[in-house]
Amino acid sequence: MIFSRKRHWFILILSASLILNGCGYKDIDKRFFVLAIGIDPAKHSTKRYLVSLKMAITRASREKPTDTIIVSAEADSMGEAVRTIKTKVERELDFSHAKVIILVDKVAKSGGNSGIIYWFTRRRDIQEVAWVAIGKPSAVRILHIMPKSERLPTNSLLLALGEDGSETPYIIPVYLFELKKRLIERGLDPLLPIIEVEGKNLFQINSAGVGNKSKIKLILSQEETKMVNYMLNMESKSAQWVERGKVKYIIDTQKVKTDYKIITPKGKKPYILMKVSLKGRLEETSRRITNGELSKYEETAEKQLSNEMKAVLIKLQKANLDPLGFGLRYRARHLNKDDWEKWKKIYPTLDFKVKAKVQISDTGLIE
Amino acid sequence: MPTMKVESIKKNILNKIGQPSSDLVAREVHTKEKYMEILYINTISDESIIHDKLLTPFFEIEDQQDFLTFLQSHPKILPFKDEQKAIEDLLKGVVIIFYQNFIFTFDSKANLAKVTSGTVVETTVQGPQSGFTESLHTNVGLVRERYPVPELTIESLSIGSISKTDVMLLYDSRFADPDTVKKMIDFLKTVHIQMFQSGEQLLDSITKHNRSFFPTMLVTERPDRSAVNLSTGKLIILVNGSPFAVIAPSVMKDFMSSMEDIYQTYWVGRFLQLLRFVGFNISVVLPGMYVALTAYNPEVFRVQLALSIAGSRTAVPYPAFVEVLLMLFMMELLTEASIRLPKAIGPTATTVGGLILGQAATEAGLVSNIMVIIVSFVAITNFVVPINTFSFTIRVLKYLIWALGTIFGLVGVVLGFLMINAYMVKLDSFGVPYLTLLQSKPKN
Repeated sequence: MIFSRKRHWFILILSASLILNGCGYKDIDKRFFVLAIGIDPAKHSTKRYLVSLKMAITRASREKPTDTIIVSAEADSMGEAVRTIKTKVERELDFSHAKVIILVDKVAKSGGNSGIIYWFTRRRDIQEVAWVAIGKPSAVRILHIMPKSERLPTNSLLLALGEDGSETPYIIPVYLFELKKRLIERGLDPLLPIIEVEGKNLFQINSAGVGNKSKIKLILSQEETKMVNYMLNMESKSAQWVERGKVKYIIDTQKVKTDYKIITPKGKKPYILMKVSLKGRLEETSRRITNGELSKYEETAEKQLSNEMKAVLIKLQKANLDPLGFGLRYRARHLNKDDWEKWKKIYPTLDFKVKAKVQISDTGLIE
Repeated sequence: MPTMKVESIKKNILNKIGQPSSDLVAREVHTKEKYMEILYINTISDESIIHDKLLTPFFEIEDQQDFLTFLQSHPKILPFKDEQKAIEDLLKGVVIIFYQNFIFTFDSKANLAKVTSGTVVETTVQGPQSGFTESLHTNVGLVRERYPVPELTIESLSIGSISKTDVMLLYDSRFADPDTVKKMIDFLKTVHIQMFQSGEQLLDSITKHNRSFFPTMLVTERPDRSAVNLSTGKLIILVNGSPFAVIAPSVMKDFMSSMEDIYQTYWVGRFLQLLRFVGFNISVVLPGMYVALTAYNPEVFRVQLALSIAGSRTAVPYPAFVEVLLMLFMMELLTEASIRLPKAIGPTATTVGGLILGQAATEAGLVSNIMVIIVSFVAITNFVVPINTFSFTIRVLKYLIWALGTIFGLVGVVLGFLMINAYMVKLDSFGVPYLTLLQSKPKN
């Protein structure tokens, strides 16, 4: 029976192929999951970078939680560093869960790093939804931070940056794909949150760095970061400080919305009209405020909010940085061939008009 | 001698029931003085009652007039009302008596509930709990009882060159497709089996015809399922000596439906059905998916899960696909063993196998914790499928997906799933497309 013999061969080959495991097959326990990547300037050699990978050591026992190992290598490029690190560990590196990329501020502030930034997007196994941040004072120290609340390594960073955990307007999380877009797109400049080491085993993220296409040029303060966050319409839960004469009060915001228009009247100076609406209720006051007086306090808050926002806009303008994407908006709505050249001329001379609308719903107390 | 009127009524009734039904009895009874005709269906009438209460007096009472008086005065014998009523009664187990110029109906219903046993394989929470018996005669009666329709056609055949087993083919001539009936009869005639014991053998011989992976005939022990299927134009095969009926043509949705879907409220029924389809897919795909995801694409998991799987696998010496195969094999043995074991020892097997072996295997580092969860998940979802023959198919299919997942990763799993789907699209059961619901019957 020729037919059945053929079939036997087929089955034999098929079952033989099962014994071989192909090059793609790599058991999960034979992999080192890289959870975070840190990039520092090299200290001990003439190479440019010190690349550190934070990897999870998995254990079978339930009592001991997952531990981590941080392996570093000095190299001129990411590829070189990873290849060097591979020689130091026994398992295959797996970047599929590398969700945090930390560039130390010294590296971020110096130019010529596009090679390593693009390495992340070129690698197919690094997810484009990884978060990129600036680290202070060193990336390795941030990788070493393990808050007591953390059960899984780097989980606290993931929660903070992903806003799954704490919701605050002082963190501006930036994804890898977004950073790439900000690096390429004309009229939209890079913006990265800054992670600082706080005390022994904590971190703090409450400022952001703004840069041009090659390096970080401006560090925003905590309140400035909040204003940028408002203007990016990212987070509504926040608090707004207001001072009216001797009275200080804080508005717990429930909704913050901003919208802007770039207006270029003929023959007149072009300006940006920024509209902000803020809704909230009083959270803390230094003096008793009754419901009847609220409109007065709204007015003061409006004035102060628009002044603060204007100050941030002017600061960004003076540094000739555009993290909010005004230029991109201008290019999208002006279909000239030389729109970019024109915008480069317009932006430094722009005026900003901020119209704030604050609604305080109640004092938070029963009168 | 009966008048023309009685004669025409008799003819009408016979015409109406006139389907070739092998259990319809029309008999003339003679003595020297008297002549009587009786008409009944022997599967639902109790013939011993007919004998004791009707035939014995008929031969004992010599006088014609006396017997008429007997008939008129018997409490269980009622005078004839009209043809429609008579036919309905006949289908419920009543004897119709033609005597002289009179027509009587005699209630001789057999109490079939007494002989039936409860369902063992296809149990439901609600609804009828009785199953078929081992007697062909009673089984036909059980179907008749639930499906009292004159159009119910019963054809009698015998299969098996040695066993000469009686087989009855039941269908509703109004709904059944004549092509299908012809196909089925042709098929039954071509079956060559020496010893024909049970309807499941047909399943085997039809799958040998086209080497089908999936069963194309449904084996059931429930008379209510048979009756419901009759009303949708299906054919029922009853085999002497087997408490199972074979329903054909049967397609995927029949195998995935339980009688309980009808007995539950609408949304509950739909939910249960959805649950079964989800369970079916999980059972087929999960082992292959586990291998593909852990060994090729761990990025699909969340970090937490990836780390905990990696952690639980650290002590396991074999690659994931061997681990899966090992556990699946153990589970199959366990399932197989608990079927064979007597009922009294059955629970011991599950305890020893499931709890102790599973726990020990994990602690010995032979398999990972997660693997135990997956295998039990596969086993449980497998049993969600209400018809056994179909769930056995799934038991085999998951190895195909497992193999493809091992060789080609996630792509292999998708490919295997597609292959199964394509195969089902191609498959038909006596001319009815296997994925009826989604597919419609091809027109020729």
